Amino acid sequence: METLYVILPMLLKIAVVVAVLLLLPLPLTWLERKIAGHIQQRPGPMRVGWHGLLQPVADGIKLLTKEDHIPSDADRLLFKMAPVVALVPPFVVFVAIPIGEPITIFGTEVMLSLSNMNVGLLFILAVSSIGIFGTILAGWASNSKYAVLGSLRAIAQMISYEIPMGFSVIGVVMLSNSMNMMDIVTAQEGMWNVVYQPLGFFVFFVAGLAEVQRIPFDLPEAEGDLGAGYHTEYSGIRFSFFMLSEYLGVVIIGFLNVILFFGGWHGAPPFIAEPVWLLLKVGFFIWVFMWFRFTFPRYRYDQLMAIGWKVLLPLSLANILISGLFVF
Amino acid sequence: MARTVQEKQGWIGWLLFRDLWTGLRLTLRYMFSKTITHRYPDHEKWQPYHRHRGHHFMKTNDEGDVNCVGCELCAKICPCDCITVVPYEDEKGNRRPKVFDINLSRCLYCGLCEDACPADAIKLGQEYEVASTTTDALVVHLEDLIAAPRKTEEGAGTVVQASLAKNGSGKTIAHDNAKGHDWWQLIRREK
Repeated sequence: METLYVILPMLLKIAVVVAVLLLLPLPLTWLERKIAGHIQQRPGPMRVGWHGLLQPVADGIKLLTKEDHIPSDADRLLFKMAPVVALVPPFVVFVAIPIGEPITIFGTEVMLSLSNMNVGLLFILAVSSIGIFGTILAGWASNSKYAVLGSLRAIAQMISYEIPMGFSVIGVVMLSNSMNMMDIVTAQEGMWNVVYQPLGFFVFFVAGLAEVQRIPFDLPEAEGDLGAGYHTEYSGIRFSFFMLSEYLGVVIIGFLNVILFFGGWHGAPPFIAEPVWLLLKVGFFIWVFMWFRFTFPRYRYDQLMAIGWKVLLPLSLANILISGLFVF
Repeated sequence: MARTVQEKQGWIGWLLFRDLWTGLRLTLRYMFSKTITHRYPDHEKWQPYHRHRGHHFMKTNDEGDVNCVGCELCAKICPCDCITVVPYEDEKGNRRPKVFDINLSRCLYCGLCEDACPADAIKLGQEYEVASTTTDALVVHLEDLIAAPRKTEEGAGTVVQASLAKNGSGKTIAHDNAKGHDWWQLIRREK
């Protein structure tokens, strides 16, 4: 009975998180198309439901009922494995992301995260890099030149930008003396980290854009030159898995930006609950990513690598040096 | 927007991503400007200008007879040979068309028939919804041309509230007394 009291709330929380994450891409695709439309002075989806709100549902049904096509020369096992491998890491990352202070329900304290691990930040960075495997497998198993080129680009890009990304959060860890996400947020109670770490935030933001392959760093899926990149050969439900993981990547980067640099749930106006305030901030970042997408062109591949290695990496090292001096 | 040399060489601007901010500001303004898409065919419809050359119509005189005298000049001048006229003498002793068919699937709406007509009979109107599922329906006869909508100056060049006809004709009907808006003025332009 005692263990049941421990396990039951946990299972409930897992169910909620998984359900929310599975449904999250629906409003996000709608939002993306709406933003695209309004930037181009058109209304975007308008016909299915109020202002096209049911359009993602229609798209989802279309994706689910499409033929599940596997190319004849593809490596069937890897081809089937890749979408799942790509989908798992984003879900796992959310284990360590808190959305608020512990709250008290029926006299028991409930954490607003699945796990309050003491190396949360390290865990998130580590697990989100596993996402590359899905890309590698998809590109290789498709046996198509577009897919292979796309996945090679994706791998090189993700590995290059992982380094400045990892370095840029070291400043945050120095300031809060902890890798625990709750501690990092608590350390920002007085002032948000973005004030102390503008350079770190800049590097993290740009590297984050590149990590989730958004414009201007969306070379792995450059429609113009690669078809669709590593998921060129995928259709139907398997393709939607990749899409799901990409959108969740955007959400994760939004969460990390807010938690690491924008004070998490601190600074909420009195009439807004803290978790809601955190989600609003995340929503703002997601909106910014989409705004970027329909504003900027794509970088050339050598420019992308030059930015990663010649600009962001030295900047992130300088950031560590400067924050090290100040902390010392 | 021509750039001066000072602006081009402004390394501070380069360092602060001046060009990126300019782009972002531009798209942000567009994001919160009015959309200009016509919500056709569901909710809105564009009213063509008076000069528009659309579906033909046949003018009639005060006695209810058609103006056409069956001279076949329109059929002669038509570059795509889509007008068929067969004249006859009616009970009043006037030369009138017995058959006056226009094959809209061949017509290129050049308006030469209008120019050639000596009797001010055939005109190109503002109606532009002539789609149909059969090519037979695209051959319009004399009675269709007499019944076809005439030109109107009212609301020309504006977008009005409308709704799709329920009878499956594929036409969008403008609402009565709908006040149109000049969509062309809504386009956001950078100064």
